[in-house]
Amino acid sequence: MDRYQFEDLISDFIENKLSMTQRKDFETYLDENPEAMQQLDSVKQVIASMKSMPEVSTSTDFMKNLNKRIAAEKEAQSVVKTTRSFAGYTPLMASLSAVVVVAVVLLGLEFIPETNNQATFSPTMAEQQVDDLPILPTQPNDDILAENEDDSTHVDEDMPNTTDFKDRIQLVGDRRP
Amino acid sequence: MPEEFRYTDEELIARFQDGDEQAYVELVNRYRDRLMSFIFRFVNDMEKAEDIVQDTLMKLYTHRHFYRNIAKFSTWIYTIAGNLAKTELRRKKRHKVTHLSHMGTEEREYQLPSVEPETGETAQGHFAEKQIQKAIQELPLHFRTVVILRDIQELSYEEISKIVDVPLGTVKSRINRARLQLQQALKEYR
Repeated sequence: MDRYQFEDLISDFIENKLSMTQRKDFETYLDENPEAMQQLDSVKQVIASMKSMPEVSTSTDFMKNLNKRIAAEKEAQSVVKTTRSFAGYTPLMASLSAVVVVAVVLLGLEFIPETNNQATFSPTMAEQQVDDLPILPTQPNDDILAENEDDSTHVDEDMPNTTDFKDRIQLVGDRRP
Repeated sequence: MPEEFRYTDEELIARFQDGDEQAYVELVNRYRDRLMSFIFRFVNDMEKAEDIVQDTLMKLYTHRHFYRNIAKFSTWIYTIAGNLAKTELRRKKRHKVTHLSHMGTEEREYQLPSVEPETGETAQGHFAEKQIQKAIQELPLHFRTVVILRDIQELSYEEISKIVDVPLGTVKSRINRARLQLQQALKEYR
């Protein structure tokens, strides 16, 4: 056993926690090294001195001060309980949250693009669209109707028969004049 | 024997968790001086030590439901106290570093020894106690905690291991090294 091994085992020796073999080795080292014996005695004294140190007590006001702190804690807890009434939010926080939600919705509506669908059509917009139309020359309604009598269903008898392709189609090998 | 002495610490905390405030008072009475001794030896300041003990017992009040009956009550309360004491020491160290140049005479006076007249034996006893206390303050925090818990609070190695949350072998080794350091520091006074 060397000095370091001896020092490592001092506490175990004092508290009687060494095995028989270790104890024998330890005692042999002590017999051979008087300064080791002195060190052992010194460590024993340190332990004894620490054990005999007087117990330190709390002051006479200790309980009074503690009770004050407990009373303050209870009061704080009761204040928290009474103010929590809207799903865990204080009334102030709940009001502020509601205002913020309404503001966001209104702002969102402002940013929706204008379209002609029914959802966004309003009388004022209709008036504006009419105003934007080009001004047409005024014409009596009867004339417009007269002009439009020749519609696509009318067949003019004087018109050449455009479906006669006899003279226009010449087949390959056709020797007709 | 009063009725409350029939209860173990674990039974008392269980009763307190169920709303029995008298159980809390009993736990406070059982632990306030033990914790005071532990914390004072740790921070070496009576006022601060008492504040930390108050904080510890307030935590017991406000965090009572955090205790689970898987560890001893004493382990739990010493862990809280030890953590608060370490936090205080770190804060104090930072404060010292920042304001060392501005330290007033009042702060220095706090460290002066008592000038009350003493008999020879008590004076020697007080001197020895002060030297040990001073030597303890010189120890690194991880040595200081375990040696106070073992040699002043007389807790078992197993309980200390749970309080400081390090393996049993490490606790034994730290206690042994702390004792050797104390022995070296106190050698000149013997």
